[in-house]
Amino acid sequence: MLRSLALSNVFRLLEKAPSFGAVIGVTVMLIAFTLVDFSGWWTKQTISNVVHFTSLLAILAMGQALVILSKEIDLSVGAVYGLTGISFIYLQPILGVPGSVIGSLAIAMLCGWVQGFAVVKGKLPSMIVTLGGLFAFRGIIYVLTGGSVHSFPVEAQNHWLTQLLGGEFMGIKGAIIWMLLVLLILSALLWTTRFGNRLLATGGNADSALSRGIRTDRVKIAAFILCACLAGFSGILTLADEPQTHVTIGELLELDAIAAAVIGGCLLTGGRGSLVGAVLGALILVSFRYELIALGAPSSWYISFVGALLIASVIFNQWLARGGGLWLIQGK
Amino acid sequence: MTAQHPLIQVNNLDLFFGQFRALNNVSVDFKSGELVGLVGDNGAGKTTLIRVLCGIHAPTRGEVYFDGQRVVEFHPKLAIDQGIETIQQSVGLCDNLSIARNFYLGREPVKRILGIPFLDFRKMRDISARVIREFGLRENVSPDDEVERLSGGERQSVKIGRAVEFKNRVVIMDEPTNHLSVREREHVNELALQLRSQGLLVIYITHDIFQVHKLADRIVIMENGEKIADASTDSMTAEELEEVIRQGGRVVEKREKK
Amino acid sequence: MPAANLKNLVRRHAELGIILIAVLLIFAFSVSSGGVWANFYNISTIVQVTATLGLMTLGVALVIATGEIDISVGSTFGIASLVYLWLSLRIDPAFAMLAAVAIGILIGWFNGMLVTKTGTPSLIVTLGSLMIFRGLAIALTSGFAFSIPYKARNGLSYVILGGGEIFGLNTAIIWLVLALIVLTMMLKYMRWGNRLLATGGSSESALSRGVRTDRVKLSAFVLCGALAAFGGVLEAGKLGSADGSMGRLMELQAIAACVLGGCLLAGGRISLAGALVGTFVLSSIQSYLVVMGVRPQWFILLLGIIVVLAAWGDRLLRQWALSR
Repeated sequence: MLRSLALSNVFRLLEKAPSFGAVIGVTVMLIAFTLVDFSGWWTKQTISNVVHFTSLLAILAMGQALVILSKEIDLSVGAVYGLTGISFIYLQPILGVPGSVIGSLAIAMLCGWVQGFAVVKGKLPSMIVTLGGLFAFRGIIYVLTGGSVHSFPVEAQNHWLTQLLGGEFMGIKGAIIWMLLVLLILSALLWTTRFGNRLLATGGNADSALSRGIRTDRVKIAAFILCACLAGFSGILTLADEPQTHVTIGELLELDAIAAAVIGGCLLTGGRGSLVGAVLGALILVSFRYELIALGAPSSWYISFVGALLIASVIFNQWLARGGGLWLIQGK
Repeated sequence: MTAQHPLIQVNNLDLFFGQFRALNNVSVDFKSGELVGLVGDNGAGKTTLIRVLCGIHAPTRGEVYFDGQRVVEFHPKLAIDQGIETIQQSVGLCDNLSIARNFYLGREPVKRILGIPFLDFRKMRDISARVIREFGLRENVSPDDEVERLSGGERQSVKIGRAVEFKNRVVIMDEPTNHLSVREREHVNELALQLRSQGLLVIYITHDIFQVHKLADRIVIMENGEKIADASTDSMTAEELEEVIRQGGRVVEKREKK
Repeated sequence: MPAANLKNLVRRHAELGIILIAVLLIFAFSVSSGGVWANFYNISTIVQVTATLGLMTLGVALVIATGEIDISVGSTFGIASLVYLWLSLRIDPAFAMLAAVAIGILIGWFNGMLVTKTGTPSLIVTLGSLMIFRGLAIALTSGFAFSIPYKARNGLSYVILGGGEIFGLNTAIIWLVLALIVLTMMLKYMRWGNRLLATGGSSESALSRGVRTDRVKLSAFVLCGALAAFGGVLEAGKLGSADGSMGRLMELQAIAACVLGGCLLAGGRISLAGALVGTFVLSSIQSYLVVMGVRPQWFILLLGIIVVLAAWGDRLLRQWALSR
């Protein structure tokens, strides 16, 4: 009896966490991969690719998680990712590497601010505003990349900042360290600061938050700016590692980011979610993509798979949030 | 009794939601150290009026003065900064947050570590725990529990405890005895009187004219967005006031304390 | 008083905003392009090109009316066009069309059931189906396109379903007009329409009055799937070929067109005619840019700005109409 008490307490703790579903998902996935394709999956090449691209997607997903927590959505993150990355390359000859990092992040923040402003001041649905943003920013990418080819000179590639952002430490690509840093800082921001409390309140019940004097407008705009900033940062990390500016950069990435955040436990009703969950969601998505490639399956399977997983995990996470786990432990 | 200027002065207030007229030429004063009962049927405009006072709605026409100064910008943050605390019916708590986080929402205490302000969880937990115990929340309810898990009465207790803790100059209570047991209701009413004796302005909204008549210095009756009566409890009995509500439409002159 | 009457008019007819914009645009485009844009051939091309997008937009508008959203319509469109083409080589195109529409109905039913039975937000459910069925479409074609040989592109069924013309206009436009008339009548004059708008306006109130909001939403999703599939059939008929990417990004244009046309994303108020005018406006802008020699890259940027400005303008207009 003592054992089941301890177990049920552990379960209670875990299932309170929005990322519980994602934890289960990752565990099941790793077991499945080990059983099905041990030699293909557990290779240095596959694992290091998965870790790298998970980190890049995770940064985007964490930004999206913040916006979803505030009960909005940002469909433009893929375009912001691309635009910032391209700006990083284009600004480099003018501003140098450190300058272009700052400049392109500033562009990302501007994208976020404009959308946030339109949502709160224009009282427009974020789905429409960020849809417009998706089109607009991607349009800017098309205009910028149409025709001229920009290169990233070798001196710039060897610049210390570029190496710091996109290089390797002891065989591990830098992106994962940046991702972990972002996770740490954002988690502290979300769960241990005033801003975080107010963000959660705004998403959970904006009217109540407002009645307690929270400037919900400013909170939402801040969420949009942060999200765009993170998307942009991921873009810079990507291009610092591989400086190519193809026109389709970041296309459909917003769907992956939303899927990762949602699989990770962020509820679209706002106020509930987890950054760790978003990272795990990204891990699941990227792992499946690579495993499917390793198994030689056609890439269309990946898209269908993500779609099915998305629906399944949202239903599961909602069931958990409504106390489904308790039902399991305590019996009917 | 020496005359003080009113703490809150409302002049010719109109509030339109689109074409719907929620408040119609309302003028009323509120003084410090007074307990005013705000009564009227559903849809009379009581909640709407106090929403203007606490900054949620800006008036379409008319002026509001706080402590002699004209209020030009309406936002709940400004009202709270001015010292107006509210207990509202449908808003005030965020289900996804814990009791402690809800308690301190908007005025979270911080501890600086390396200059960065982190939430002072210990203070949040200790103080909100003490307050909720005072309001009789069950023993096994902890300040870290999500508000969603509480019953209606417990949620109400959290709102009341919060308002009492952060009281400043004005406490507005919108149907504060909803969901409460008889004993709890008495407790709330005692509190209202206590706050008044501490020099605060207490505005008490309720349907129950008989109950509030015992507590209040003054009763203001609203109907269809208009003020139709404003009388001290000395000058009119509860039955007389109830008659006014029932008959409706009759404007009763303001009567001072005898 | 004229202002009050005007406000009343705008309040009741959500499409007035977009019609105004359309008229202004037609005027502006005609004048600035010196007659190049505003000729019959060009305009009829625009109208025909947007016929299939229009059908999709009508379906999306119905779902939006219930307060939900369906972003999987592009994938439904794509799968339907593939199924139609593949089958019409083997059986009469009329039956092939029925099969394709049946698939659309199934997808719509899938979406609707998930949304109503599990309480999952429609954005996520339809995002999931968008991905599932797009992947399926690509897998079915293995990345290649397939087409109907020219000699098979006749026969009454085929022609009626987008493969031919009547009075110089592609048959798809006839279907669009038909759909508009039927759906508008259902929306305005039948019980179903009333309940649809009530569900979107306030699903709790509707439920409390005994409306089966679940079934209403399901029916909207099913109709939406059917319309998107039918649009895919017509498009495949017109082009004679299809690949795995058919319908991609059309869902975004459909939503933009609905918002432009005065449909409230929150539900409860839509205008089918307005949504179609919105589709027409979007296509016109694209055509205008082509005529004026603007590089196509600018179109998508402009589309983004227009979507936001139009949504904002519509909101302002509605606010004005609701004010004193």
